[in-house]
Formats: sequence, C-alpha cells, structure tokens
Amino acid sequence: MNTEVNLGGIVMKNPVTTASGTFGFGLEYQPYVALQRLGAITVKGTTLKPRLGNPPPRIAETPSGMLNAIGLQNPGVERVAEEIMPRLAGLGVPVIINIAGDTVEDYAQVARRLDGVPGVAGLEVNISCPNVKKGGIQFGSDPHTAAEVTRAVKAATGLPVIVKLSPNVTDLVAMAEAVARAGADALSMINTLLGMAIDVDRRRPVLGNITGGLSGPAVRPVAVRAVWQVHRALPFTPILGMGGIMTARDALEFILAGATAVAVGTGNFVNPLATVDVVGGIEQYMSNHGFTNISELVGLAQRYTGDN
Amino acid sequence: MSQLMQAEITDCRETAPGIWVTEFMAPSLAQGAVPGQFLHIRCGEGSDPLLRRPISIHSVDRQSGRVKIMFQAVGKGTAWLASRRYGFIDIIGPLGRGFTMFTGEQTGLDCYNPRLVVVGGGIGAAPLYFLLQELARMGCVQQVMVLLGARTANQLLILDAARVLGFNVRVATDDGTTGYRGPVTDLLAEELQRKPDFVFACGPSPMLKPLCDMLRDAGVPGEVSVEERMACGVGACLSCVCRVKDTGGIETYRHVCVDGPVFAAGEVVW
Repeated sequence: MNTEVNLGGIVMKNPVTTASGTFGFGLEYQPYVALQRLGAITVKGTTLKPRLGNPPPRIAETPSGMLNAIGLQNPGVERVAEEIMPRLAGLGVPVIINIAGDTVEDYAQVARRLDGVPGVAGLEVNISCPNVKKGGIQFGSDPHTAAEVTRAVKAATGLPVIVKLSPNVTDLVAMAEAVARAGADALSMINTLLGMAIDVDRRRPVLGNITGGLSGPAVRPVAVRAVWQVHRALPFTPILGMGGIMTARDALEFILAGATAVAVGTGNFVNPLATVDVVGGIEQYMSNHGFTNISELVGLAQRYTGDN
Repeated sequence: MSQLMQAEITDCRETAPGIWVTEFMAPSLAQGAVPGQFLHIRCGEGSDPLLRRPISIHSVDRQSGRVKIMFQAVGKGTAWLASRRYGFIDIIGPLGRGFTMFTGEQTGLDCYNPRLVVVGGGIGAAPLYFLLQELARMGCVQQVMVLLGARTANQLLILDAARVLGFNVRVATDDGTTGYRGPVTDLLAEELQRKPDFVFACGPSPMLKPLCDMLRDAGVPGEVSVEERMACGVGACLSCVCRVKDTGGIETYRHVCVDGPVFAAGEVVW
C-alpha cells in the first residue's frame, strides 16, 4: 500500500500533518505522539520579530468548536531557525513552517531566513489570520495583494510554498486562482472562520480580542466545500485540506473532495493521538476498500457533479 | 512524566451542593504528581462539549494508587463528568508546574522549620488539600495555619479534611454562617502581622489579586495557583496566558499550562 503524497514538492510518507498553531513547534506533543508517524509537522505561525500575542482570554468554546484569538504569538524567525529547527530536524519528518508578516517585505524576509535551514521542507504562507491588526487576513482578502505576497515569497526562497487561504472571502476560487498563477506550489484551506461569542452574564465579549477564528468540527462542512470548489477549478494544484478533522473518516472527506494532504488542528487538543489515529484509519480504509495508492482517492468524489 | 491514560473511576459523589469528588485508579499519577499540578480531562464523548477541562489534583493515595479530583459542576463538561459513576475517564497528566517546595526548584524557603500559611477560596481550596497531605507527610502540621474562605458554610470544601489531618484552620464566609464574616484576606492580614515565612494560595482572582498586593506590602514570599481558559494543556496552543513581570521587571505572557498554574505571588500582573 502506498500512502506517499507530494504536496507541491514536499514529499510526505502519508497525507497527514498538523494544522499550524495547534501543535506548537511539535516537541510539546512528543510525550504523547510518535512524531515519526506523521507525514509532516506544520508548526506555529512565525514572524520576523517575536510577537507577544493578544490579551487573554484567548479562546472560547462554542458548539462543536472553539474560537481562538492567539494573535500569532511566536519567538520570531531567528529563534525558530537557530534554536527550534535543530531539535526538529533530527526527527526525520518534513517540517512545514507557517510564516506571517505585517508587510510584503516581512514575508519575504522570513522566507529568505528559512531558506536552507536544515529540516525545513516547505513554507505555509499565512495570509489568512483573522486575529492580528496588520498582516494576516488583509493580504488574504484581495486577490492582487495575495498574489503579490506569493510572488515575493517565491522569489525569496527555493522551498516549496503553500499559500493558506481564508474562508472569509466572497470568492475563494478567485483567490486560489490568483495565488496559483503567482506561483504557489500548493494551497492550504481553510484558516478559521471569523466569529465571536458574548458572555451573557457579564454582558461583554468573551475574547480579549473581541473576535476570533472558529475551528473544530463545526466548520468542517465549510472546509470540505472549499476544497471541493477549488479542486474543481484548479485540479492540478495540490491542496492541504483542514477544518474540524477529528477522525480518519473526516480526513477522507477532504481527500475525496480533492485534498492531496490533510491537517489535524483543533482535534489535537481533544485527542493528542488524533493525527496518528487518522494515519492508521486511512490505511485501514484503503485496505478495506481495495485501494493500493492514496492518489486513487484524491478528488474521487468529484466524479459526482450533482447531475446524476 | 505526563501521560495520556484511561483511568478507571472508583467513586464519584457530591460532597457539597454542586461540588463533586471523583476518584479513579491512576498509580503513575499517585506516585509522580506534585501539589498544584492538574489533569486535562475529556468531558464528553462527542464533539460538544469539545475541549478537555483542566482540573487540579485534589488528593492522592500513593499506596492504593487512587487519585481524587474535586470540581464544581458549572457547565456541560463538568456536568457530564459528574454523571460518570463508573467506567473510565480519559486523562492527560500530571501537567503544569506545582508548588515549588515540592518540585525541587528554589523555593525561597531557606529558614529551618518555616512557618507557613495556606489560603483557599471557594473551589480554589480543592488543590490545597493535596498540598496539606504533603505537608502533613513532612511532619509540618504544627507550623501551618490554614485559612479557608467561601460564600457560605457548606462551601468550605476542605475544612473537615484539613482538621482531620490535624491542621489549625480559621474560616471566613461571605454570609457569616460560620467563622469570620468577610473575605478570607482579612484573616490573612492578621496572620501576616506574625511574619510567616511563606504563603500558598489558590482561589478566584478577586481573592488572589489583593492577596498578592498584601504579600508584597508585607514582604512575605508566596505562590498562587491561577486559572485561565485552556485548550491543549501542553504548551502548544498558547491560549492560557498569564501576564507576569519577569526578573528584569519586563511584562510578558507566560503559559498557565506549562509555566504555571503556580506562579510566584510577586510575578503575576493582575
């Protein structure tokens, strides 16, 4: 059985990675998870300078989901390259670093700094964080600026570049087409959906940041639809699908919709073994249904258009 | 070393109105946990409620390997947990940094036979019973003054258990149903005049904030256990931040799940 996938130049032994921001820098989960079982590890959003993040409360639980407004807290690219990557590089698992910035030049500088750092297999460009004032979503809501960031990052690095898209746009396909034309090697979707919760007893927003990003099983249908639409429009652009994946069956929805690889995010908080459970469950499914290569499953549900 | 485990429930009972104690078999926790540490517990089977709940360790019995948690059934998750009378619960733990007197770190307790004060407010008393168990095991009972506060008499959750261990206990209630009528920090103010060597505290923010100010003014060192909304429990998601002042006086965020939940009283910025 072959579960190896190629995500825009990142070769993964199976299609399962972690969603940025839910798995720290990987080592936090080492006591619980056999990290070597993962297809790749996608780490926390990294910026040029260290960032303190937003004031608490930073999360709120919602029906079958959660809101977060962490605000890209991270130690900065220098420490990630110098202190964290040497510890991750030895695992033998491709590491995808999520990068973010306040300006186009910030993205390019972070990308340049990570080029050639041992263990870094690719970059995920975060143009979709809903929780920071500058950067993030402002680059991800206009196709022209999204393309500009993509071109700048591509020019700054030889690493495979995945661009992470926001569902908080009117026309996701137009965004996907713009960044693909600008040279993105792959797309990841979806980042969180902008939301908020109000504490009725205290009559004020729950989150310190007021609004936050919704994740978890509640968003899964939105995410599956996003992958479906983008794969339909861009069948040759690999997609990293994510949004509320808790089990292998959830992951298979994304793969059947057209995702080459999948990421487990909020699911890690509930079940630290979610990623490895998904890997095992996909293998079991392939074996049960007679599939020998994972690529046979990618986009298989697209054969049904709704007409038949 | 923290582990993911399925622990068999051996008892579950309501110990005070709305307050539950669940006991389960977890020898590795009973052996390895330190007072102030917590467990991250799955409180449901489906996706709603979704997240685990951080609950402090209430007591351990090293011989039998049994561990107890004490919690308030306030929402969907804790109500679900209170409804589990047998079977298994899904736990990650022990997590976090406990009271440093028991973690082998520098404690600031350099005097011989230190005089200690333990202050608990409401459900915040739950982890302090584990602390009292350890202090009793060390033969410190005579050197400790325990101060407990609650809204009303039946919410003084560890009063009887602390007395059974032989501790001196003074109580305060908001409604005056027993003991001093008023905040437990008023009792602490009296104790601070006797210049204790160290204070341990856990309770709601409205209690801990003035308590930290009082310790600073009195020049008495201490540690407080704080709470924050938490998702992963292991330092990955960066949700549960607590604002602290580092040694250089610079304000920064630390993570309640890995840097806490116990912090030096002087470092927390309220």
